[in-house]
Amino acid sequence: MRKLRVLLVDDEIMIREGFKKLFDWEAHGCVVAGEAADGMEALAKIDTLNPDIVIMDINIPIVNGLKVIKMSRIKHPDTAFIIVSGYDDFSYCREALRLKITDYILKPVNYEEFGTCIDNLKISMYQENVSQEPEAQDERIINSITRFMQEHLAEEMSLSVLSEEFHMNPQYISQLFKNEIGVGFLAYLTSIRMEKAKKLLLSTSLSIGEVAEQSGYGDYRVFTKVFKKSEGITPSQYRRDFLWRE
Amino acid sequence: MLRMEIALLLVIAFIACMYFSAERKRTQLNKVFSVLLITVLVHLIFDGITVYTVARLDTVPELLNEIAHRLFIGTLVLIVYLFYKYISVLVAEESGKHWYLDRAANIFLVLAEIGVAILPVHYAVTPLGNYSDGIHVVVCYASVTFYLLMCAALLVFNWKQLQRKERLAVGVALIIQCSVSLLQSLNPTWLISGAGITLMTLSFYLTLENPDILRAELTEQKMSMKYLKSQVNPHFLYNTLDTIRIQAQLNGDKEVSDLLMRLVDFFRHSVKVNMPMVALDDEMELLEAYMDLMCYRYPELKCEYDIDPELGGVMVPNFILQPIVENSLLHGLKNKGYRGEVNIIARKLAEHEDKMEILIVDTGSGFAEGKKEKIDSMLRTYARYEADMDGNSIGVLNVQKRIKLLCGKACGLNYTENPGGGVTAHLLLPLKEETR
Repeated sequence: MRKLRVLLVDDEIMIREGFKKLFDWEAHGCVVAGEAADGMEALAKIDTLNPDIVIMDINIPIVNGLKVIKMSRIKHPDTAFIIVSGYDDFSYCREALRLKITDYILKPVNYEEFGTCIDNLKISMYQENVSQEPEAQDERIINSITRFMQEHLAEEMSLSVLSEEFHMNPQYISQLFKNEIGVGFLAYLTSIRMEKAKKLLLSTSLSIGEVAEQSGYGDYRVFTKVFKKSEGITPSQYRRDFLWRE
Repeated sequence: MLRMEIALLLVIAFIACMYFSAERKRTQLNKVFSVLLITVLVHLIFDGITVYTVARLDTVPELLNEIAHRLFIGTLVLIVYLFYKYISVLVAEESGKHWYLDRAANIFLVLAEIGVAILPVHYAVTPLGNYSDGIHVVVCYASVTFYLLMCAALLVFNWKQLQRKERLAVGVALIIQCSVSLLQSLNPTWLISGAGITLMTLSFYLTLENPDILRAELTEQKMSMKYLKSQVNPHFLYNTLDTIRIQAQLNGDKEVSDLLMRLVDFFRHSVKVNMPMVALDDEMELLEAYMDLMCYRYPELKCEYDIDPELGGVMVPNFILQPIVENSLLHGLKNKGYRGEVNIIARKLAEHEDKMEILIVDTGSGFAEGKKEKIDSMLRTYARYEADMDGNSIGVLNVQKRIKLLCGKACGLNYTENPGGGVTAHLLLPLKEETR
């Protein structure tokens, strides 16, 4: 897989250094292509470097982060923006979401957990590609695997289940995920389960236990833990926050 | 006529009572107004007396009548001077500089008072009623005219420096006083000067010297000082902490960076204090951040949580768990060298459908002799204790007050002693999810 190119934008050098050195970009198939300390510089770097991912604070000098996104959207429709903000403020978040950003994370950034964010981005890029591809006869194996996983989300799922279903070596399937999507099997599974759970939390009034079950978690305690780790808040908080702020 | 004077006197006496009993700032302006109020009171008394005596020139001794008149006119001149003084101080406060005619006003006052004291008093006797006239009264009219003109000049020349409210008060007072003076000079038998002065005083009282407004200003001042003291920009605080955290991690010190992460978490949650109620999940996050830090500082301190996950969305008063746990640590576990355990349990109650219970169980030293009775009585009669009292029970009392206020009298906090040592705090809270 091609390495994803990342642009880091923050007015504080320490924040950029932290991102650059404390997160394992290599392991997540990314490379830091450049940095910018203000909105103007960010706009220029987006034009010259044409990054795949821009990781940016909102509150930056000269041109604020939201404006940077608005202004570069037209020329660079495929660039993914990840907002990193110290402002625990939903009005920013709402405006950012309207600009179709990929993710909104709050400072302080936990670099161990930042990987989930990149994984989710890759998965959504992969899913976008799949949905754009016409359904061919000789569908790629990974596509059949992921479709199978989507359809059997509530059931037990593991590499060995897949290996039986598709008559393939588990190691081979694991490698397939890494090569085709850029994330591990488990990260992919967790991600789609979380997506399902979030959808259920917002669109149904199922109890947390039922949501857990339908997303493939027999034990809601495990589900709550995983959810909290991936989203930063508990499932009930998630449901409340969104319903409340609508 | 006399009846009106008595009514006016009562009005001013009432205002004076209200004004002097109210808590207020003591600026120069307020001092001038206080003097003005007293002078108006004295003036109205002599106004009443002269109204009575001037109508009975043949029965009242002449000397008595004369003294009353001199005091009546003397205080009247003093009052218009004080009006001028009041406006002048007001202008000086707003514009920051004294007016150059202040000295002239002071000199004029002395001259006028001397004139009032020594010039002969003369009475005009008419079928409509008696009144004083002659050179003595001319002094009075001259001073009123002089000071009213000065006031008007002050107002006009400092129009821009004055606030709208002040312009209005001064303007209205001047118009009242001017028209009353004019009427009085055209109809000397009306004897209405007292009414004009009362109305003018009233207009100042209601607008600029209203005790409620003054008290509000005072409280606001106190509050903003307190606020300033307690307010360090939280974003500055945790942005800086975050920078230090990243530097620590860049230096390879994962432990310090984790600790700072927890500290930032703690601050982030504790700046949300403006919300009265939060979800139990949010409250637990604050508590966990706090306990993580405490457990790091005291490695032999352990903390266990047993929270029914169904209760995560239940709304509880903000910031009630941390003070209780802190209390357990400081008064229980500290005495055992921070060796021991704190258990936090949240569960539904079998006997109450609409209530839940949070227990904070510690294995500390327990209550000292007589301490439990004190705490019990304090928690029972929480309403009688002041929230800002000194001592270390303030956190616990504050929690009790907020629970009672936000969740009703049936809920609340109480303590029991554990059979194996230590104490348990029981928080009885309503089982209510957030409603939109």
